[in-house]
Amino acid sequence: MRLFEYQAKELFEETGIPVPKGRLVSDAADLDGALEEVGLPCAIKAQVLRGGRGKAGLIQLASTAEEARAKAEGIFDSIGDGRSLLVEQALDIERELYLSITAEPVSGSALVLASAEGGVEIEEVARTMPEKIVRERVDLSEGLLPYGARNVMFELGLEGDEARQGSAMLMSLYDLFQRYDAELVEINPLVATESGALVAADGKVTIDDGSLARQSRFPLSRDYFESDIEYEAAAEGIPYIEFDGDIGLMCAGSGLTNVIYDLVNYGGGSVASYVEFGGPNYRKGAKAMELTMRSKPKVLLVVTFGTIARADVIAEDLAEAIGRLQPDFPIVTAIRGTGEEKVRELLGGAGLEFLDDTEDAVERAIELARVAKR
Amino acid sequence: MSVIIDSATRVLVQGITGKESRFWTRHMIDYGTNVVAGVTPGKEGQEVEGVPVFHSVRRAVEEFPADASLLFVPPRFARDAVYEALDAGIQKVVVLCEGIPLHDALRMRRAALSTGAMVIGGNTSGVISTGDGAMMGFFPYWIERVYRPGRVGVMTRSGSLTNEITARIVEAGLGTSSIVGVGGDAVPLTRFAEVLPLFEADPGTDAVVIIGELGGTMEEEVAEAIEEATFTKPLVAFLGGSTAPKGTKMGHAGAIVTAGKGTVEDKVAALEGAGALVAGRPSEVGELLQTVLAKVG
Repeated sequence: MRLFEYQAKELFEETGIPVPKGRLVSDAADLDGALEEVGLPCAIKAQVLRGGRGKAGLIQLASTAEEARAKAEGIFDSIGDGRSLLVEQALDIERELYLSITAEPVSGSALVLASAEGGVEIEEVARTMPEKIVRERVDLSEGLLPYGARNVMFELGLEGDEARQGSAMLMSLYDLFQRYDAELVEINPLVATESGALVAADGKVTIDDGSLARQSRFPLSRDYFESDIEYEAAAEGIPYIEFDGDIGLMCAGSGLTNVIYDLVNYGGGSVASYVEFGGPNYRKGAKAMELTMRSKPKVLLVVTFGTIARADVIAEDLAEAIGRLQPDFPIVTAIRGTGEEKVRELLGGAGLEFLDDTEDAVERAIELARVAKR
Repeated sequence: MSVIIDSATRVLVQGITGKESRFWTRHMIDYGTNVVAGVTPGKEGQEVEGVPVFHSVRRAVEEFPADASLLFVPPRFARDAVYEALDAGIQKVVVLCEGIPLHDALRMRRAALSTGAMVIGGNTSGVISTGDGAMMGFFPYWIERVYRPGRVGVMTRSGSLTNEITARIVEAGLGTSSIVGVGGDAVPLTRFAEVLPLFEADPGTDAVVIIGELGGTMEEEVAEAIEEATFTKPLVAFLGGSTAPKGTKMGHAGAIVTAGKGTVEDKVAALEGAGALVAGRPSEVGELLQTVLAKVG
C-alpha cells in the first residue's frame, strides 16, 4: 500500500529526515492560514497516488497569495472531492539527488539505490546512465551500518557536512524501511539547497501488502483508491482493476488471469475489468460478479483451472449469482480443475454452455463483444 | 524418476492439524507420499490420517527422521516454521501460503542461502513428482488429463496456469516427471535457475517447460544457465503478462533493480537468444515440446 506524500513526510519528520515546512489543506478556505505558516513562495502539491503529478499540472509553484489561491482552486477542481493539497515552503534548489531502499530478492537483502541525477524517474537514469547509480546491499539481520551509509554518500560525490547530513538521512530512511515493512522508501528529489542543507522535497513510502496486518498505523481506507469499486474489492481482498474496454474478466489465479488478459488483447478484444478470485478467494465468485457488473461489460468471461479453487463451487456460485443479479450481457465460461466433473450440469442449469478450452472461450467472448457493439 | 521428492522421501507436515492440511495429507498419502510425522505445537499425541503429531519439529525428527518438510501454516507464522525446520536439520522445505511479509521472505531467502537448504515457495501449490507418485502440496493428481507421468519437467510461478499448461502437455501425448512450483511471490525462496541443475541431472527428465510471467529476473537467469551450458536439455517457455499494463504493484526502485529486464519482451528475447523455444499461446506448448523431443530422438 502506497502512502500519500504527506504521510511519508510525517514519517520522515518523526525519524529526523528534514522536510520543507508544510501544511495539509483539505479545503480552499484553509489556504490563507497555510500560507501564513509556510510563507511565500510556496509549492502546492495534490495529494493523489497516481504518478506524473508534475506533468499533469498537479504540482505548482506560486509566489503571491493570489497566485496560490488561483492555482490551489485549479488543482482542487481537477482532483475531485475528498482529496487534499500539501502546501510547502519552496526550496532554493542547488541540485537534486535520488535516494531509495527496496528489496533485493536474489540475495535476500535490502538494496540502497542512490544517484546524483535526481528529480527524474530512476528508470530513466537506469536506462540512459546506469553508471550513475550507486548500489549498496544491506543484510537485514545486521541492518544498515554507518560505514555503509557513508560509502553511499562518498560514491555520490558528497563531502564534508553534506556527506554527514546524507549519511544520517540514509540511516533514518533505513530505519523507516525496516520499521514499517516497506517495499520501497524513496526520496526523489533529495534537494541540496543553496545554503548547504539536504531536504527531502518529495517522499514515497510503500508498505508491503503482506505486512499490513502487523502495520496497524495505516489502516486500509477509501482514500487510497481511485473508485468505490476498487476500494470494496480491496476490502474483500479481491484484486480488481478497471479498464475501458468491453470484456469483464473473472479468473482464478493471477497467472491465468494475466494470460487471459493477453489472449483477449492478441485477439483484438479489449478488457473492461479484471477480477482475480482464485486461491483463498474462490468462494467469493458472487461478490466478484457483482463488482464486475458495475464495470458495465458487454460480455463476461469466466476462466478458471483451479486446484484449491474448486470448479464445482465456482460454477455453483456463478449460477446462483446469475439467478439473483439477472445480468443483461452474455456470459462465456471455461471452468475446470478440482471438481470439474460436476460443472457441465451446474452451468447447464443456469443456461450456460460448458467450454473446455481456454482459447476457444476467449475467442467466443471477443466475438460476442463485437456483436454487442454493433 | 523425479526431482526434489520421490516416494522414498520422508516427509514431515508442519501445521498438520488444520482442516485443509488434513484434507491434503490424506491425498498425499493416497498418492504414495511417505508422510512420517506431523507437527502442531500443543497437539502432541494426536494422529492425523494415521500420522503421529508432535509438539515441535525437533521432537518429531528424534523419533521419525525426515528429509523434507511441508508447511501448512498461515503467512505470519511462515518464518518461524521455516527456521524451525532448518534448525532441526531438514534440507528441503516447501512453504505453500500466499502473503508472506516481504521482509520475512528476504530473511528466509538469506537463511536458506547460508544453510544450503532448499526452501521452496511461498505462494505455491508445492512440488509433485508424477513420475514417482509423491507430492508435497496440493495438486488434483486424479484429473488424468492434467497429471500424467512422463518425461517433461515443469517449473512454474503460477498454480492456475500450471493446470492450463500441463493439460496441453498431456494433450500432446506426453507427461510430466516433476512439477516444481517456485511460487508467485516477489521473493521466491528458491529460484528457477536453482532447480534447473536437478532436472539436468535427472535421467527421467528429457525436456523442461518453464511457466513464467512478467517481473523479476528468474527467466533471464534460466537463459544464462542455457548459455553457460550448465543446462543442456531442451527447454520450452510460456510467459504470461506480455500485454499487461505497467504495474503499479512494483515501485520504481523495484523496476530498476532489474534495469532493462523484467518485461516479458526482454524475457522472451533472453530465452530465445539462448536457444530456448517460447510458446506464444498455451496451445503451442505441446507442439513445441514434440518438436524439441523429436530432435533429441
